[in-house]
Amino acid sequence: MANNETDIKIVAFLCNWCTFTAADLAGTSRLKYAPNIRIVKVMCSSRIEPVFILKALLDGADGVLIGGCAPGDCHYSKGNFYARRKIALAKTLAESAGLDSDRIRLSWIPASEGPKFAHVVNEFTEHIKNLGYNPARREVYI
Amino acid sequence: METMIDSRMIMTDFLAALFDKLDVAAVAAMSKLPSGEKAAYTLFTDKSGLKECVPFFPAMPANAARAISKLTREEAPSKTVAVFLRPCELRALTELIKIKQASLDNLLIISYDCSGVFPFQKINLSDETKLNAYQDAVSTGKNSEGIRPVCAACTRFTPRGADIAISIVGRSADQPLVLSFPSEKGQTAAKQLGLDVSKTVEASPAVESLARERKTAEEALTEQVNESLSGAQGLVNIFDRCISCHACSYVCPICYCKNCYFDSQTFEYFPESYFTRMTAKGTLRMPVDRVLFHLGRLSHMGISCVACGMCEDVCPVNIPVSQIFKTAGSKAQAVFDYIPGENSDDPLPLLAYAENELEEFED
Repeated sequence: MANNETDIKIVAFLCNWCTFTAADLAGTSRLKYAPNIRIVKVMCSSRIEPVFILKALLDGADGVLIGGCAPGDCHYSKGNFYARRKIALAKTLAESAGLDSDRIRLSWIPASEGPKFAHVVNEFTEHIKNLGYNPARREVYI
Repeated sequence: METMIDSRMIMTDFLAALFDKLDVAAVAAMSKLPSGEKAAYTLFTDKSGLKECVPFFPAMPANAARAISKLTREEAPSKTVAVFLRPCELRALTELIKIKQASLDNLLIISYDCSGVFPFQKINLSDETKLNAYQDAVSTGKNSEGIRPVCAACTRFTPRGADIAISIVGRSADQPLVLSFPSEKGQTAAKQLGLDVSKTVEASPAVESLARERKTAEEALTEQVNESLSGAQGLVNIFDRCISCHACSYVCPICYCKNCYFDSQTFEYFPESYFTRMTAKGTLRMPVDRVLFHLGRLSHMGISCVACGMCEDVCPVNIPVSQIFKTAGSKAQAVFDYIPGENSDDPLPLLAYAENELEEFED
């Protein structure tokens, strides 16, 4: 149904220490990546509650990207391990509710890897474009 | 399986013995209310009121774990209190212990194999025909007509974790109680009760046949819920009746927060925000965030959901809340290999982690 999806919207929750810094690095390195993401910076990926992700999807975001430090490299030592469990829960609930859990992606992107950030954003945007608009986007009574 | 013995006591004798021989400070169980129609969970501090006691009355005016939480949250009772709990109430209590909302100290837990309950509105103490049919179903190990769908599909109906377990499925109502004492506390109680442990009783095959019937019903329920929950459209179909009263969360034993996140300022938007949303979609149904409330609540308590069915009992618009939460909750529990209420030492899945796990949820 979606064909000319320049207005595909992806909400990205990025941790302050790694993935947001990687996004910064991608910017200062003048790397181009798809303009479809809207970044929300959080101090740690474990701050991201399943409710945030579900709200984004129910309110019509086409995709949700969660970025954090690689396992073992968390600024707070173990926040991303907790985050992984929360995202697993969010994905499972989305699946149970028939919301496409494929619209949720968890990526570990270290601070030094600007190119990886650009790559993940491009790849995920492409993936969401293939899935098309989130059906909830037009749903008024949700 | 614990050895079951013939206690040679009927319920009234057993209740009296709790006071006389175990010297309990109180007994908590369902009791008839003055109206003569309904029953409520009640604390008896002496034997005088016990004739009104109906521990097996097939209704749940509340999940009793909430009452036990109030009795034990800040400090344990100074003397033993004997509490009757349905298996789902006992599981809820176990979950509450993990979040420090209850304690087992000085509690003597009496539970029984549960044949399910009727929706609260649909059963009265005077409904003799219904109650007789229910009793027939109990003694033959079948699902009684009219019990809540979530009870009919409950496969965890045996009293795991109790100190004293009463076997009632497959037995007639007027025969002496068949008891077992699975815990150390229970063993001590058995000695104090002075029971003749030589007279053992066989497990009833009716328990097995009820388990099979329940399993089939559970599979059917899962399939039905999965079919109806099908994306944005399915969510709208199921929840568009919701009037956002949040009663389901107020009666939920797991939802212990005094100030619910979904009643908080977080979901009080500036007026402008409504207009922005309205402009984006062309229309906006008020109040907003109805489906989010349900899915969000699932994310808060679904992992600990014991499928007690209270949420569905109180829903004023008949949304099958409990059937949905039981099904979606079990799926979430399976991801973490977690059984709510199984063991109070198991950590809550979101408060624990392993370094190498769940890789299928990463990109």
